[in-house]
Amino acid sequence: MNEQVLLGLADDELVLGWRESEWTGIAPLLEEDVAFSSIAQNEIGHARAVYELIVGEDGDADALAFDRKLDEYRCSPLVELHLLEWAHTIARRWLYEVADEIRITALKDDPDTAVAGLAAKIDREEAYHRMHAEMWHDRLGDEPRFQAAVEDLWPYAVGMLPEGLRADLAVRTGLDLPSNNLLQGHERGTHTPELAPLWDEMTIVRRSAPTGAQW
Amino acid sequence: MAAVEIPRDEQAFLEYVQSGGQVETTDWMPEDYRKKLIKFIEMHGNSELMGVLPEREWILRAPTLQRKLALTAKVQDEVGHAQLIYRVVEDLGKPREQCLADLVDGKAKFHNVFHYPTQSWGDVGVIAWLVDAAAIISQKALLKCSYAPYARIMKKICWEESFHILHGRDVILAMVTGTPAQFELVQEALDRWWGPLMQFHGNPIPADEDPMFLWRIKSQGNEEARQQFLDGYVPQIHELGLTVPDPKLHKRDDGVWEYTEPDWDELKHVVTGHGPKTEERLAFRRRFLEQEQWVRDVVLAA
Repeated sequence: MNEQVLLGLADDELVLGWRESEWTGIAPLLEEDVAFSSIAQNEIGHARAVYELIVGEDGDADALAFDRKLDEYRCSPLVELHLLEWAHTIARRWLYEVADEIRITALKDDPDTAVAGLAAKIDREEAYHRMHAEMWHDRLGDEPRFQAAVEDLWPYAVGMLPEGLRADLAVRTGLDLPSNNLLQGHERGTHTPELAPLWDEMTIVRRSAPTGAQW
Repeated sequence: MAAVEIPRDEQAFLEYVQSGGQVETTDWMPEDYRKKLIKFIEMHGNSELMGVLPEREWILRAPTLQRKLALTAKVQDEVGHAQLIYRVVEDLGKPREQCLADLVDGKAKFHNVFHYPTQSWGDVGVIAWLVDAAAIISQKALLKCSYAPYARIMKKICWEESFHILHGRDVILAMVTGTPAQFELVQEALDRWWGPLMQFHGNPIPADEDPMFLWRIKSQGNEEARQQFLDGYVPQIHELGLTVPDPKLHKRDDGVWEYTEPDWDELKHVVTGHGPKTEERLAFRRRFLEQEQWVRDVVLAA
């Protein structure tokens, strides 16, 4: 299995889980506060499981998650965006879940049984996230600001997947694939300026003690 | 079970609840009792909700994946508690939307400890361990609440809170056995939080003069709760090598803890909306409540 693909999955889940935790205590409905905490928890749990798979039994998943240099992260620009605004947050949730399902489905057929098994396990939990995202997509679908948010984020969602999986994303979302020009700066492999402040805050406590300190 | 006849007279109702009688939502109750219940339970709901805001900052900064998961689970529990608690208030006649609006308008109270800043990861441990320990003592005194629907949800809440204390103690344990700087973070946090913790259970008014006790909304007085907290946790604090920042604190031969008089003026000042972080946290909630009003409008119109 290509380690970079796994790392992309884990970093996406870690960073998106981080972004969704930003809604803690301030979601538009208490029910969504609970839902977002639960989703964030699952995403971070998935990230941990994938990091553990990459580092192996004696490896340090935390070190892999937090102690890399910024340019070594493989997350997609979509999950990095700071979007404390519900229309864009839900547009990202929906686009991410559709793209993630395509990616996870491909991983379920991976020849490495450990990878395929983990993908199947993640897929079972993601099914609930997809239901939640679909429900909100249906609720907000007619709202112009939600439609505009989907349009804004669409190139980023496409940029989350490798080229071979993009046509499927277009079919499932009913959206047209953007031109290569429009994809520039939105594809995995590049980072937005919003990743650096996120990483700084995410690791501020960890960096305050010498490497190897227990927390 | 045969239905119990609830007395429809204030004095007889008072005697009924004082002898251990419980009341359901549809039962008759004196207006004063209903008002006191709403005020008390609403403040509990507000506290669960406001308590997640200081934690929010530290979910984002949690130093390991495990800690991040545990904190996220904890706030999920807490908002879930707020949801349950506001439902009880709603059944008593005050809608949730009104509670949330009064909260951000500064018309409703929440616990003193959630008006203070959190400065380090040490605070995260102290809050999850000692603030939650203090809270669980108050909450256990609600398991026998004369208002039965509230007593019932407290069972679930107390059970979940007990896990938060374990998480908090584990955070503290990792740090006090870590580097000297990590130990210092915990000691500094304890120094900061000790005052608010000693104020947490309220001034030592005799239980018989406490209306919440008279109506048997809670089953113990303020000082009793504080003594229980000191008895349960001071030995544990010492065991970890930490120092309680109160030179007067000691246990008398008769088992009663003596301590420096907490600053009751500070408590009053803080819970009436003048804490160091009160306005900032309310403004933060208010900002998003206003920004996302359209979402609630769309949902309600459906």
